[in-house]
Amino acid sequence: MKAEPKNFPQSGASSAGVGMWYLTGILGGLKITLTHLLRNLFFKKKRITLNYPEEKYTYSPRFKGNHVLTVKKDGSLRCTACMLCATACPAECITIVAAEHDDPRVEKYPIKYEIDMLRCVFCGFCEEACPVDAIRMGPEWQTPDLADGNFIYDIKRLAYRPQLKGGVLSVVDDEERHQAGI
Amino acid sequence: MPRCTINGVEIEVKEGTTIIQAMMAHQQRIAHYCWHPGLSVAGVCRLCMVEIEGNPRLQIACNTVITEGMKINNTSEKVKEAVKWGLDFHLINHPLDCPICDQAGECGLQEQYMEFGKYDPEMAEPKQKKRKVVDLGPRVVLDSERCILCSRCVRFTDEVSKSYELGIFNRGDRSEIGTHAGKTLDNKYSLNTVDICPVGALTSRDFRFRQRVWYLKDQNTICNGCSTGCHIKVYFNKEGFFRVKPVYNAEVNGYWMCDEGRDIYRFANKENRWQQGWYRVDGNIVELKPAELAQKIQSLVTSQSAFVVTGQFTCEELDRAIGMFVKKVGASNVFHWQNEPERWNDFDGILLRGDRNPNTRGLLEVFQKLQINTHWDQLIQKLQQGMIETLIVAAPEGVTWYPDFKEKLSIFSKAKNLIWLQSVKRKEVEELPHKSLYVIPLKSYVEKNGTFINYAGLRQSFKAVTTVLHETLTLDQALGLMLGSWEGLIPVTQNASGVTANAMTLVETERPKDRVLNETRKRNEFIFQRGRL
Repeated sequence: MKAEPKNFPQSGASSAGVGMWYLTGILGGLKITLTHLLRNLFFKKKRITLNYPEEKYTYSPRFKGNHVLTVKKDGSLRCTACMLCATACPAECITIVAAEHDDPRVEKYPIKYEIDMLRCVFCGFCEEACPVDAIRMGPEWQTPDLADGNFIYDIKRLAYRPQLKGGVLSVVDDEERHQAGI
Repeated sequence: MPRCTINGVEIEVKEGTTIIQAMMAHQQRIAHYCWHPGLSVAGVCRLCMVEIEGNPRLQIACNTVITEGMKINNTSEKVKEAVKWGLDFHLINHPLDCPICDQAGECGLQEQYMEFGKYDPEMAEPKQKKRKVVDLGPRVVLDSERCILCSRCVRFTDEVSKSYELGIFNRGDRSEIGTHAGKTLDNKYSLNTVDICPVGALTSRDFRFRQRVWYLKDQNTICNGCSTGCHIKVYFNKEGFFRVKPVYNAEVNGYWMCDEGRDIYRFANKENRWQQGWYRVDGNIVELKPAELAQKIQSLVTSQSAFVVTGQFTCEELDRAIGMFVKKVGASNVFHWQNEPERWNDFDGILLRGDRNPNTRGLLEVFQKLQINTHWDQLIQKLQQGMIETLIVAAPEGVTWYPDFKEKLSIFSKAKNLIWLQSVKRKEVEELPHKSLYVIPLKSYVEKNGTFINYAGLRQSFKAVTTVLHETLTLDQALGLMLGSWEGLIPVTQNASGVTANAMTLVETERPKDRVLNETRKRNEFIFQRGRL
């Protein structure tokens, strides 16, 4: 003889209460949904989700978003084209071409600095490797675009995009270092 | 033969050997900046300190001759302390801006201060500021701040190049390297000062800032700039060749090489080469794979053809190519294109020779072996008489050393069909208004294995460095495909049907893909995939 499950009602059982066995589960589920609905309706501040395009989450200042190339006080690029960021980059997305600068004190500067944002894994190694605080990971992250080519950011976009309002000042200053005798 | 003990290892050295020589010969590590094996001893850097038993004070290894029973060590705490503080004195005025400096990665001072952890100098005084980016000459740039005044470059111009251009001027911490009044560092060997500079003070104008050294891979080969045949190292990566440095060879070049030889890397780079074979049809250029083109023009090579060779090819290539040609056409139709034979015995007293072909000896040996006794005038005569239908020219790679190139080209263009074999792209050839011109690109000297015989008869074999254009042919492959004869060159494979088909498959399959690409974006491949290249 097959052992039958105890709580499972037999088909054609006469009792009405036994036939509605699933109602408890459904009501339980409805209760959860309703609580969330009512809570979201009356306590808006406790909501977990955001109305994304209109509302945006503010990340911590340590967030690693799109790169920023910093500038010196005169507005020129801080980068010395040492290529340590390109060397450290695990995604191999940084391309730098160095050139001789007219000013012998500057000596070397990048004539081309490109980051392929689609390759970038936002690990922040470039920021760590930089000896002169020339590259930082900024707060931006919503930068959609239409074509692949637009994701290769050049100096103009990395250092002088409108959001940066003329460039972010680097903390390492040649003039100060020079005066301090370093 | 005095015996001594260095760091616990007992060795026997020649009379008059200094401690540093013995240590270098026995693979012992010792810091040194001013000492260079090819120069005299200056003893100014004070970093090669060693402790000698029974001697209360430390001695410098470069200027101490080993005597019987000396017990030397440079690993004791006393020595380490001395080197560490000696290093601090070097770093008083040396800016630690290694990321900008072009020497970073191959700098003795960088290695040393990293080892001793002296990242910050302990001087209260500010650093002396000196001149930066000074043009000492057309090829060398000086950065006085980075100079540690080891005087290697001064000694080089005094002792090796004997041009006496450099000196140390001023006193104390203001002293710096410079050229004497009215002189510039403009001798044929000036770039050696860049090689021997232990820091980034002297840099090459040509190589400066073009690549970081850790992106480059190097390989030894033989210079093809002149008949001296210096041992060199070429530095390259996926983007091409970047520089040439000498490698020590006591028999040939010692520690040095000339400045002109350092330009030879350019010939091998992709932008200076024909990528495909080509010929003209009604004034339009038709491009074809070199091997296919060589096969296509088989019918042009008849008994009425001649072969002009230069001493710019390896012995193996010349032997096979000329051998095949002589067998098919005859020994009287092979000619030697000599560039300025009247200057061949010139010698500048150091390295550079008048014969700018690396393998003239090898070519003459092949001529002797195959009993070819032709003269250049015979070729001109034959060309004027119209006796030569097809002229095959194995043109030189280092065309810069051929001042008669244009003139010879006009002589060659008298032939009905001109087959031009050359590895370097030349405008003169492209502009040649010849109706039946076939150009087949050859491999450059860095892409093939072979042997050069230098002026003194020394055989020097070398290996291929890398592949720049994998479809190009060696001279013997080109001749073999043109003549349809491949004896001793091709192993007969079972599954291929005809000989020519064999030849084609061999030429096509046995070659690795191009490993030097101009358009590559990925610089770091060398670091992460070093083993694969």
